[in-house]
Amino acid sequence: MTDERTGAQVMCEALVREDVEVMFGIPGGAIMPFYHAMWEYRDRLRHVLCRHEQGAGHAAEGYARSTGKPGVCVATSGPGATNLVTPIANAWMDSTPLVAITGQVSSSVLGKDAFQETDITGITLPITKHNYRISRADDLPSVFHEAFHIACTGRPGPVLIDVTKDAQQARVVPDWNTPLNVPGFSAPVGIDRRVVREAARLLAGASKPLILVGHGVIISGAAPELLAFAERTGIPVITTLHGIGAFPEDHPLSIGMPGMHGWVHVNRAIQECDVLLSIGARFDDRVTGKASTFAPRARIIHIDIDPSEIGKNVKVAVAIVGDARAALCALLDEMQPRNAAIWLRNIRETQATHQHRQPYLRRPDTSELMPHDVYAALNSELNGRGGYRVVTDVGQHQMWAAQLIEWRRPRTHITSGGAGTMGFAVPAAMGAAIAHPDETIWAIVGDGGFQMTNQELATIGQEGIKNVKVAIVNNGYLGMVRQWQQLFEGKRYSGTPLSGPSFAGLAEAYGLRGITVDRIEDAPGAIRAAWDHDGSVVLDFRVEREANVFPLVPPGLSIGEMITREAPA
Amino acid sequence: MRHTLIALVEDRPGALNRILGLLRGRGLGLHSIAVGDSETPGVKRTTVLVDTESVEQTIKQLNRLIEVLEVTDVTNAEYVVRETALVKIQVPEPRREEIRTVADVFGARIVGSSPHTVVVEMTDTPDRLGEMIARVMAIGACETMRSGSLAMPLGGPARRAKIAGPEDTNQAWWSQADGIS
Repeated sequence: MTDERTGAQVMCEALVREDVEVMFGIPGGAIMPFYHAMWEYRDRLRHVLCRHEQGAGHAAEGYARSTGKPGVCVATSGPGATNLVTPIANAWMDSTPLVAITGQVSSSVLGKDAFQETDITGITLPITKHNYRISRADDLPSVFHEAFHIACTGRPGPVLIDVTKDAQQARVVPDWNTPLNVPGFSAPVGIDRRVVREAARLLAGASKPLILVGHGVIISGAAPELLAFAERTGIPVITTLHGIGAFPEDHPLSIGMPGMHGWVHVNRAIQECDVLLSIGARFDDRVTGKASTFAPRARIIHIDIDPSEIGKNVKVAVAIVGDARAALCALLDEMQPRNAAIWLRNIRETQATHQHRQPYLRRPDTSELMPHDVYAALNSELNGRGGYRVVTDVGQHQMWAAQLIEWRRPRTHITSGGAGTMGFAVPAAMGAAIAHPDETIWAIVGDGGFQMTNQELATIGQEGIKNVKVAIVNNGYLGMVRQWQQLFEGKRYSGTPLSGPSFAGLAEAYGLRGITVDRIEDAPGAIRAAWDHDGSVVLDFRVEREANVFPLVPPGLSIGEMITREAPA
Repeated sequence: MRHTLIALVEDRPGALNRILGLLRGRGLGLHSIAVGDSETPGVKRTTVLVDTESVEQTIKQLNRLIEVLEVTDVTNAEYVVRETALVKIQVPEPRREEIRTVADVFGARIVGSSPHTVVVEMTDTPDRLGEMIARVMAIGACETMRSGSLAMPLGGPARRAKIAGPEDTNQAWWSQADGIS
């Protein structure tokens, strides 16, 4: 019969129907039928062979975060599937639409501890929006459609589909017309106008209002509405780590990042403000510090698409449940033009007494390359050019990047926030580079995180990806942990000193270009050379080893209690 | 504080597992859970007794699960609670009369016996079950089996669990799968 297909062909067909253009993965026994079918679809479905499934998962995340479209990763059963657990958890914490496809052993041996059998749906239960184990090929069309719908609708997140080998091999006539039927999955509701008017009333009466912008604004594509809203109301705008890029930092109303490594004037403004409008942010402890002391004078208006975020970490006066863009449009309709000029001037005065875009780094007596030299050089190069995105990893370099680069556009700053996954940057940058071949994708990474997933440089080489530029801020330590050991644990550097190979040499070994920089005056030229080089590059910036990230709110304290600089030696 | 929640749950594979995993992952104490068919095919009605600081937050988290259709907190509503206990008491023949007396007082039934044991069944509130069990334990060694609490609110209309969406479509993909757990 001509309409008959194997389950594996149905899986490929389903991906094409969901407009998937690329997937990242590694084959293995239980997923081989899918790879067999993939060959027939190779002109429509690009498969990128990664070197580790964690790399595949993060690459799919980088693709998703830079485009807003779902990322797809593929692995075999057992260890292949468990290697996806970290990126799935990362996507869960950072609300990234991700569809993970895993092979599973055949139904006949399922539950018998077969070779490479793992209960991956059981393992990923708490870190997926939903997951499926499919043993009948007939179920594939509706399950794939449902999975993409769930991953992308409302608050995005990861969905895993585990398909037994026999279901991939079975021959079926696929039915593509089964309507979606997920009654327990509520699509976002319309905005409640009554609550919006209440919020508008609060804002209109506020003398010290603030807007706190999170990832939700970027996910819903609400940056233009945010700009219009801020300009009409004159309310100063704060962007969280994941909100970075939602509001241009060169705008007079932008005041910067809050939280553990936020600016002093921003945290003080939060502690002083009388109304805080939070849009698509979830009051993570890295933002709030000790939550019970966060914004003590403020009545909080919380816009979020996920009702379970309302009232989870802080008390909320007005809750608007719904899409950030729709909520902002509704709120904009209710607001009369106003300004908060005196309040903004107060904030700027506080800012002026503390340095801004000048890291609180003490330069040693030598002329050693300091981290901020690297960022200053990169920042001026970014300002002069367009067509770039920056992916950061986790640690000191990540906070310096958030602080020291002037961010302007949504989806140009991509990082691992909630889960704090070291090893994210290199593969995620690769995924973003594949999604945007005409742009330059910078991966800023520490020497610790780089060594967790640098095997993906081989993938970059094999795929001929030319637009990944890796900047390693190399201090020979797991720097953020070392910083805490220095400040809070009497300088006992337990388990933090870190060596590595010649990273430039490693890059060359992978067929990429490698450049080592250890002098201040060489930094700008090296960055220009990397940018202009027709191919991917690894820059190894050997920086002062014990530079610290400031300001800093010590863990567990109120964000009003900041350490702003190094204690004198 | 302990709350009594009633949840309507779609009968998909792994649904119960997800509910239990969510409660454990969020550090909430599960006191009892009872699951059974509702009046609508494909939907289970469950009673969950859970210790939580914020019941509102717990309900929202449960609602994030795809299979959970609806959660109601009946703790402060008027509702009846019933639980069934089966108690096996090791007791010599001459003292069986004492068991019968206790059973009569509590409205329990003797539902089976062997030369050395009797089995008593009782359905009542959890507290009354506890009292009955304490009494028979004084007579002989006991093995108890309890069903977990079932709760039913008194007010409001009798509500039929609904599955939204087209009803005339093909079988759901999980129809031949392996049950709710």
